[in-house]
Amino acid sequence: MSDLEDSSQPRLAAGCRWVGEGENRTLVYPEGALRLQETARAILDRCDGQHTFDQIVHELAVAYNASDPSKIRQDAVAFLERLRQKRLVDF
Amino acid sequence: MTESPLALIAEVTHRCPLHCVYCSNPLQMVSSAAELTTEEWENVFQQSAKLGVLHLHLTGGEPLAREDLTRLVKSAHGCGLYTNLITSGIGLSEQRWEELVRAGLDHIQLSFQDSREAAANWIAGTRGHAKKLEVAAIIRHSRVAFTINMVVHRQNVDHLDEMIALAESLQPQRLEIAHTQYYGWAWENVDQLLPTREQVVESLKTIAAAQKRLEGKIRIDAVVPDYYARFPKACMGGWGRRQLLIDPKGTALPCHAAAVIPGLRFENIRDQTIGWIWRESDSFQKFRGESWMPEPCGSCERRTEDFGGCRCQAFMIAGDAAATDPVCSLAPMHSLVEQKLAEVNSRAAAVDDQMPVASPVEQSQFRMYRAQPK
Repeated sequence: MSDLEDSSQPRLAAGCRWVGEGENRTLVYPEGALRLQETARAILDRCDGQHTFDQIVHELAVAYNASDPSKIRQDAVAFLERLRQKRLVDF
Repeated sequence: MTESPLALIAEVTHRCPLHCVYCSNPLQMVSSAAELTTEEWENVFQQSAKLGVLHLHLTGGEPLAREDLTRLVKSAHGCGLYTNLITSGIGLSEQRWEELVRAGLDHIQLSFQDSREAAANWIAGTRGHAKKLEVAAIIRHSRVAFTINMVVHRQNVDHLDEMIALAESLQPQRLEIAHTQYYGWAWENVDQLLPTREQVVESLKTIAAAQKRLEGKIRIDAVVPDYYARFPKACMGGWGRRQLLIDPKGTALPCHAAAVIPGLRFENIRDQTIGWIWRESDSFQKFRGESWMPEPCGSCERRTEDFGGCRCQAFMIAGDAAATDPVCSLAPMHSLVEQKLAEVNSRAAAVDDQMPVASPVEQSQFRMYRAQPK
């Protein structure tokens, strides 16, 4: 199993997709569903298999005007690792 | 206010090419002539999506036995439902698979009866194992989520490691290892299927080791037999709380075994809307919430986690659907489960005696599910 690196291109796993609109958007997967906070949605919206992890962190830092991008990086790593364990995200 | 259901289990047919001895379908199966039509199912999907249902589990019987399955998937997908096909794989050609993928199928759950072909075919009462392997090869390269489901019991759990190895070679994202649940035909065969305590303990070790080894590659979910647990399972996530099931002829049930409970009248979607059935019908309200709970459930701190366990099991074992689930170590009727376990554990698991590979099934001690609905 490879670690999440700057060049990794995370994407939603097969059978994992959004249902609903706006704030009610829910991530649905084989045996469950997750309603996520805005920042979590912002991360997953960029998990399209195109964005690299570094780009995702960078875009988030800009979008949320973060004074400390390393905190965003840390949170994003933990979040994506957790979702990979649940087999919701591949990278 | 009653919360909306999150999942709809659509038993689209009871017809099935397999006749598994652990099948949890009711003993009285619905005939094909009585099945809901395509349009009726489509109406069910529309109503369900409006109610807030997210997941649609298409099951049976074997859903592929319905020729209109692709259209059903397409309609459900069009309503915004997340579609899951629970199947034996028998009846799935490459062409049909491509049609289902195009129709918007999100997830497929393919069952295996064993890793050993002869034993798998024997449990299923049909030669389906080799076909399932072919089907797995067709599925695994698509963007549809792929789960393999292995049903384990007294007769096969001793080689669970082999079963996990087979699953691993078929490359699903998820592996579900489900100890048999004792309803329907499985309840008829409980004496031959219930594992010994030692088998259960060993299986948990095997599963834990596999989970660690396959982490990040295959997610393993395991359903432990509740007969050996201290507390009951949160059956269906609580009666009338999260899920509803519609059987092949349109009867709406809180779970697939609920029809065994006497004195309950179950409504049909041909007569009532699903919203009304969910919110208002007597059958869905009967064991919803906590007001029905006897002691010790009523004052138990676990009542919001397991909801008193399974109502059908309470009826089947204790003869009272409103009793605390007898598998709970705190249940007044728990001694009935202990007796059953003592009986089962006094017999060593004799795999070779029970599962004759070549000899005729008539010699078996199983009461089999070998009948087909007309």
